[in-house]
Amino acid sequence: MQVVRGFLSRYGLILALAALPIFYGVKDLTGKHPSLAPLANNLVSGISNGSIWAMIAVGYTLVYGIIELINFAHGDVFMIGSFTSQAFWSLIGVTLATSTFGVIGGLLVTLVVAMVCCGTLNVMIERVAYRPLRNAPKLAPLITAVGFSFILQNVGLLWLGGSQASVDNLIHQGSKVFSIGGVVIHREDVLAVGLTVPLVIALTLFINQSRLGKAMRATAQDPEAARLMGINVDTTISMTFLLGGMLAGAAGLIYALYQTQVWFFQGFRGGLFAFTAAVMGGIGNIRGAVLGGIIIGCIQQISDNRIGPQWTDAIIFGYLIMIMVFRPQGLIGEETREAG
Amino acid sequence: MRARQFGVAACIAVLSLGAAACGSSKKKSSAGSSTTSSGGTVDIYSSLPLQGASKDQTGAMVKGIQLALKEAKSKAGQFTVNYQSLDDSTAQAGSWDPGQTATDARKAVQDSKAVYYIGEFNSGASVVSIPILNQAGIPQVSPANTYPGLTTSGPGTVAGEPDKYYPTGKRTYLRIVPQDRIQAAALLTTMKGDGCTKVAIANDKETYGAGLARLVELQSKAAGVNVVDNTGIEKTAPNFRSYASTVKGKGADCFLFSGVTANGAAQINKDVAAAIPTVKLYGPDGTCESGFTNPAKHGIPATLGKAFKCTVATQDLKAYPGGQKFLASFKAAYGDANPDPYAIYGYEAMKLGLDTIAGLGAKGNDKTAVLAALFATKARSSVLGTYGFDKNGDTTLTDYGLYTFGPDGNPAFSKTIKQGG
Amino acid sequence: MSRLDQLRNSLPPWWNRATAGVVIAFAIIFPLLFGQSSSFLDATTTALAYVVMALGLNIVVGFAGLLDLGYVAFFAFGAYTVGWFASSFYFKAHVHSFWLSAVAAHGPGIHLNFILLVIVAMVICAIAGVLIGLPTLRLRGDYIAIVTLGFGEIIRVFATNGDGIHIFGGTLTAGRQGIPVVDQPRPLPFIDSFNSLNLRPWYWTALVMVFIVLFCNVRLRDSRLGRAWIAIREDEVAAASMGVPLVRTKLLAYATGAAFGGMAGVFLGSYLTTVNSDQFQFGFSIFVLAMIILGGLGSIWGVVVGAMLLSYINKYFIPDVFDKVANSLHLGFQPSDLSFGIFGFLLVIIMLLRPEGLLPERRRQMELKEGVGADEALALEVSA
Repeated sequence: MQVVRGFLSRYGLILALAALPIFYGVKDLTGKHPSLAPLANNLVSGISNGSIWAMIAVGYTLVYGIIELINFAHGDVFMIGSFTSQAFWSLIGVTLATSTFGVIGGLLVTLVVAMVCCGTLNVMIERVAYRPLRNAPKLAPLITAVGFSFILQNVGLLWLGGSQASVDNLIHQGSKVFSIGGVVIHREDVLAVGLTVPLVIALTLFINQSRLGKAMRATAQDPEAARLMGINVDTTISMTFLLGGMLAGAAGLIYALYQTQVWFFQGFRGGLFAFTAAVMGGIGNIRGAVLGGIIIGCIQQISDNRIGPQWTDAIIFGYLIMIMVFRPQGLIGEETREAG
Repeated sequence: MRARQFGVAACIAVLSLGAAACGSSKKKSSAGSSTTSSGGTVDIYSSLPLQGASKDQTGAMVKGIQLALKEAKSKAGQFTVNYQSLDDSTAQAGSWDPGQTATDARKAVQDSKAVYYIGEFNSGASVVSIPILNQAGIPQVSPANTYPGLTTSGPGTVAGEPDKYYPTGKRTYLRIVPQDRIQAAALLTTMKGDGCTKVAIANDKETYGAGLARLVELQSKAAGVNVVDNTGIEKTAPNFRSYASTVKGKGADCFLFSGVTANGAAQINKDVAAAIPTVKLYGPDGTCESGFTNPAKHGIPATLGKAFKCTVATQDLKAYPGGQKFLASFKAAYGDANPDPYAIYGYEAMKLGLDTIAGLGAKGNDKTAVLAALFATKARSSVLGTYGFDKNGDTTLTDYGLYTFGPDGNPAFSKTIKQGG
Repeated sequence: MSRLDQLRNSLPPWWNRATAGVVIAFAIIFPLLFGQSSSFLDATTTALAYVVMALGLNIVVGFAGLLDLGYVAFFAFGAYTVGWFASSFYFKAHVHSFWLSAVAAHGPGIHLNFILLVIVAMVICAIAGVLIGLPTLRLRGDYIAIVTLGFGEIIRVFATNGDGIHIFGGTLTAGRQGIPVVDQPRPLPFIDSFNSLNLRPWYWTALVMVFIVLFCNVRLRDSRLGRAWIAIREDEVAAASMGVPLVRTKLLAYATGAAFGGMAGVFLGSYLTTVNSDQFQFGFSIFVLAMIILGGLGSIWGVVVGAMLLSYINKYFIPDVFDKVANSLHLGFQPSDLSFGIFGFLLVIIMLLRPEGLLPERRRQMELKEGVGADEALALEVSA
């Protein structure tokens, strides 16, 4: 019994995480056409899908780390990011007929616009719905967050209607960049990973190096002490929401290009998965959120492909519960400030 | 203790406010009807999910209903028609809700002037409202339900259907669109004609989508088409690329998404077409609308549209006089020359009611007479073609129209598919 | 507030009982003031069912401080108890209990009496509550929230895909198609019969449930167990060191809360006459959670008011009052286009106006008045 328990607590998590890919890897290898390429392809699209979740998850985790709020409106801010992006690139006239350089330039401007819009929106939501409740019971802002989530969804519903709206396939999603031994890397994979990595690195650098970033970390650890040290807590919190919103905006643009569709309800699933990713990685931890996002992306792809898309949600949440059982503090376990 | 007192006070306040609101609204409505007594009034209700993802389809339907009413100048024979559009969805759920559906039906039941009820949009919701309206004997006409079990037993239904929906034993429910069996046959005929050998089906798991997919699968063998996959999808999934590669692995050459546009139709068709470039795409009336096919309305890209065919219970509207007139007035009212199938269904549902009431003369405000007249409808010429109702309340319409991608991006009529032909 | 305190102290001692008596009497005769199937009576009946639901969740979240975002699971279990054991869903079986309505007594399938259904559902839900609670025992704070959320979603997925899982000669659920036409309870001799057109018996049934659950809630709160829950909520470590058995106390909170959720689920399942997997969305958990937070977390009367208020907004104010007013103003849009947003807007406004909830728990009020140093300082800074 003792041996089993020791083994499980050390390797249980790794075993749990690897169970799905190993199972299907073995199945593929022992099948009719032994090859690991299908699994590798799943993982490639899992990583690129997951990096979108990761970016949203970082926003969740930043906000949670600093004011311990499950920001249910965050997923919908991300949805607004997608909507703004597609509206803006249509406005400046980027279409399928635009030259490659035009598209790249246009999308870069769109990226900035989406990030600014969503950052501002997030700051405004914080100002209106969360700041007045800073001294209220811990769960009160949760409800205003839900309220804003409904409001934003209604905005999306009126904007583009109830059905998923297709947008122009500007990056020619689906076309191959290169392939190694049957593992195909598509343009959208390059885009998703290529935008997520620098943005997350920039964010990490900002938080670790800059004055404001230090203020954020200090506030996250102990708002009271931070205030005594002369840190303006309100500004710092606004800053956190700005950063979280900007990442959600960037994720919104990537999502629109990657999926070539936007939907008023996309933020619900986006938010749910991102929240799950943040918790999986260890709430308040940026690296953990990224890792969690990518893990969710991979499970999602494997499940969609092998088990059936209708079971994917159950499998992801099943995984989450397993991880929580083996490692209650999340994958990258830093104990965060405990709720009062 | 104090908290309790406040609770008590608040409860009383809420209850009495509500009572006051209720009382006053009742007074108002009775006063309103007494002033317009010249010629009399009848009340017509529609109950559709106006919020959430089905909003686009139901919005089109309400447009059609209102157009029919406007054309008739809100008159049905000697009666003035009071139309009320009810919502069977709630803000909290964002989609149809059983409680709200029952509430809507009860509203009509309480109204002694109610003679005609259009609804529901979802077959699952009709299951709730049919028994309620049945007990009150109010004629109900669904403009969209295609689930067979609502009116008949047989393949694709559950034990006890349809009798368990009619507690009085008398039928009160009719539908103007043919059952899924007929649409499934039409789709299979089309696929067979296009030389499909392996068909993959994805459904949205709703009563309509899953039911139709099941029927296509059931009837496929007889039609000589091979269904290699039938999967229920999660409509909130951001993409279906993994699913598409699964389908590709099964060697599918034709793909049918059985569901409505709002349940991920565009994305799944795009992803399947990306995985299998030569695939032929098919859709039922749930996706046979400009919101799905027209790139300008955020539908699928034009390149895919050309590979897409869909079936609707409407024929070539330009071919007969009623259709021409409908197209012209729809364009005049909404500036859209290409009404969606749901707008047409809504229009016909209302027009059927108005014509039936008008045909009864002075008895048009008698719901029993209206019901009997509806079931007696024979050879009615309409935008859906010429049809009547059988004793189960099913339309006798069996022809489906096949639609292809038109030059303006909207579905355009291509030909009529006769059943069994 | 203090003036109200004075006022209350000046009232005679029988005042509380008298008001309670008046309220109960009013609640009982209430449906006679309306038509048998009036939509306000319908909204009220639904609101009462939500009160039961919210009081159940209040035990888990309000008393024991375990943030449960998967409460919809118990609604699902309760409703499916009705679907499985009180309809012709498993038509191959022929099981009939005593005291059934005429239709149910002769139909195929399993048919249990309404009281039996409630008991079965409460047992199923209590077990499910414990099972869901087990993995969260080592977790703290919001980690519990996500695990319960996960369970809620898993159960939704199973409810949706249950039409493909074959057991007992049938399927597990009917998925999005729904299990239609479930049994109506058999009426008591002196009350009208239960049907979709006469809502009065439904209302009285819900009222009895509310009274039972209210009684349980008050007694539990003041019991040793209730104090243990509150102790865990306030400080888990301190509670444990004072000898509160954490595992048992927490699991009892989950089980009790779940059982009440199941009770309301049975009622709603029968009342809505169908059990459809689309009802069991995450949004439902949030809806019930919003009721108890809006009302005042942990405060029994607050929760009652919060539940009534939100269900009225959702079922009566938005579809009836708001739509009617908006339509009569001819604003040129469908009012239902905005109902989603209006609902959200009202949540935000109420919460901002009453951050501690409409009727905060007294213990919490005391805390807030005394202040906890840091929070108070922050508050001062915000207001400055």
